[in-house]
Amino acid sequence: MSDVVTTRANDGSTVEFIYKDPMQGGVKDCYWTTDKSAVVAFYRNKLDYAGKDRIEKLVGQYRDGIFNQTGGSYWKDVFCWPEKIVEHDGRTGIVVPAYDKRFFFEADPLKGTEKDGKWFASAKNFNRFVPPSERGELRTFLRICLQLSRGVRRLHAAGLAHSDLSYRNCLIDPKSGSACIIDIDGLVVPGLFPPDVLGTPDFIAPEVVSSFALKDRSKRVLPSRSTDLHALAVLIYLYFLHRHPLRGDKIYSADPEIQEQMEMGEKALFVENPNDRSNRPKVKPEDSRCLPWIDLDKIPYETTGPYLKALFNQAFIDGLHNPFARPSAADWEDALLKTSDLMLPCDGSSCPKRWFVYDNKTRPSCPYCGKRYEKPLPVLDFYITRDGASFRPENRRAMVWSGQGVYKWHIDRAVVPNEKLSASEGKRLGYFVFHNSRWSLVNEGMPDLFDITNDKPIPPGGHIALTNGLRLRLAAGNTGRVANVQIANV
Amino acid sequence: MRRLPIYILLDTSGSMRGEPIEAVKVGLQTMTSSLRRDPYALETVWLSVITFDLEAKVLVPLTELEQFSTPNLRAPETSPTNLGEALELLFKRYRLEIKKSTLQEKGDWLPLLLVMTDGKPSDTQLFNRMVAELKNYPFAKIIACAAGAKAKVEPLKALTDEIYALDTMDAASFGKFWAWVSTTVGRASLEVGSIRIKEEEKVPEPSHEPPDDELPPPPEEIRIVF
Repeated sequence: MSDVVTTRANDGSTVEFIYKDPMQGGVKDCYWTTDKSAVVAFYRNKLDYAGKDRIEKLVGQYRDGIFNQTGGSYWKDVFCWPEKIVEHDGRTGIVVPAYDKRFFFEADPLKGTEKDGKWFASAKNFNRFVPPSERGELRTFLRICLQLSRGVRRLHAAGLAHSDLSYRNCLIDPKSGSACIIDIDGLVVPGLFPPDVLGTPDFIAPEVVSSFALKDRSKRVLPSRSTDLHALAVLIYLYFLHRHPLRGDKIYSADPEIQEQMEMGEKALFVENPNDRSNRPKVKPEDSRCLPWIDLDKIPYETTGPYLKALFNQAFIDGLHNPFARPSAADWEDALLKTSDLMLPCDGSSCPKRWFVYDNKTRPSCPYCGKRYEKPLPVLDFYITRDGASFRPENRRAMVWSGQGVYKWHIDRAVVPNEKLSASEGKRLGYFVFHNSRWSLVNEGMPDLFDITNDKPIPPGGHIALTNGLRLRLAAGNTGRVANVQIANV
Repeated sequence: MRRLPIYILLDTSGSMRGEPIEAVKVGLQTMTSSLRRDPYALETVWLSVITFDLEAKVLVPLTELEQFSTPNLRAPETSPTNLGEALELLFKRYRLEIKKSTLQEKGDWLPLLLVMTDGKPSDTQLFNRMVAELKNYPFAKIIACAAGAKAKVEPLKALTDEIYALDTMDAASFGKFWAWVSTTVGRASLEVGSIRIKEEEKVPEPSHEPPDDELPPPPEEIRIVF
């Protein structure tokens, strides 16, 4: 046991680690703690004053600001955040929690390999190398994107920028629908800590790429919160569609380097831009095993639903060359939440996604496997009020499927499901069931559920059959919603 | 899907017989199995193995990483080191296999070349001619490895600045070299399409540490020859 080193960390606690056979990262050597609950990552090069100051703030002020507030425990799963600082052998190191075991493949042949987001973002890897049991469902990918958006929203709210968001720096587990942002020690604080890196190819914002082609250094654009927002949009697009939003067929130069600088920088063009189709990639015969993801006609970005489509337009058309027009992380979070209520289960036996986003068709079918949706499909359109008397459409709806639950955030617009949600607010208040060829809503905990059409209350324990045109008051008060029922697919 | 082709030129001349050739084989195997757990490499890497002794042979034509299986390497008892011929064959394969970018279509990423030899080229004239032709065959990176005490570094300098000299030809030092090569290839596949920033143009920063996108240092046993 001579390799075990015991040392005292900056917070006074004892850290015991095995000082041999380091795992080597880009700039750090990492050693397991004896209980394997964390790794100690030593910077190979001596940190200067600013570098030390940054990690001290990271494990101190910034960490406290995020973890020691309401909802703080939520972030433990979202960020792999450095906890303490140790010194040994003249080197400085940070103690970082070990990745949760769900972020390692369980199935052969990849057993034990880290679930780098690249496994899932690339159509080739996803179709051919990721074991089927590890591919997850559309719904779990949505949850992954939701967690990433929340994480970025939280960093930005604290005045921080990640500066190198990419599939490499967030582990994801499509089985459980979880994501974890790693490599936090490169955080950028505008004006205080400049970025170490430009970012990862595929995720560097166009203004950064094109500014580095300039001779004039003072015009260089560095990673910041607005470049994080480009990277976040790219990540969400990749995880939903398994293809890159800017890598298309348009050629600017026969020189690969210039081509790259143009297509990722100055001339970047969204492959699905409806007004300029010149970058749309064609499916090449040798890429048949990447189907259907690389076929833009088969799986257009509209399959992600209206809310995400609007944000993709904002990110990759309006905001592509205008950083200030990019959707914020909170915009993504909101759109993803709304999209989650538009999802329908697909029972196609070979469906690669098991779920799809309802496309407003009267006879929907799954875009991924083609299976027709068979049951009658109630659609609840929500209405909100300011005065408790007149209700206007909210541009929000929920699809009804078997087992779908009703939660506080469905009935009361003042409640948003995020890290601040209390346990009692997270309780299910009702559910939908298809029985004797009709759909019913069972009330488990909505005290004010009221059938407006027939002017009668539905007390907890009661239920009501869903019919076309039915109007329900879901909760009382000015933040309570009204739902209007339409039955599609009949 | 754009490919990242990697050509591996291996010396199979007489002096590689025995432990060295076995160590190279094991090294290749370890490299491919570690690359197969790397999602960046799996997406893009294609490999080809060309050997050279008395003659140059394509042992494995450019093959997708997933399909690649380590060839059986054999070194004849005595034979010259015809590196010139190997380069000539490499260029022929380059013309045949590499899809160049044109104004109509994107081609492959620029290939990587790894040359490993334990001697000096025997076919000096042809070697010099081929070195002169190298400029017509662009590579993203050329790595040369001079293995063992008898290896001559000088001729390899004509190919690249990145020369690694292995002092000994035992399994351990070969093992470390190949592990380093896998990391380099892994990095290269991660960085395909990265915007290259010239050294003096790096992000202005109060430089605390080398940027995260740099290679890990090569293992200690390997001397870097300038």
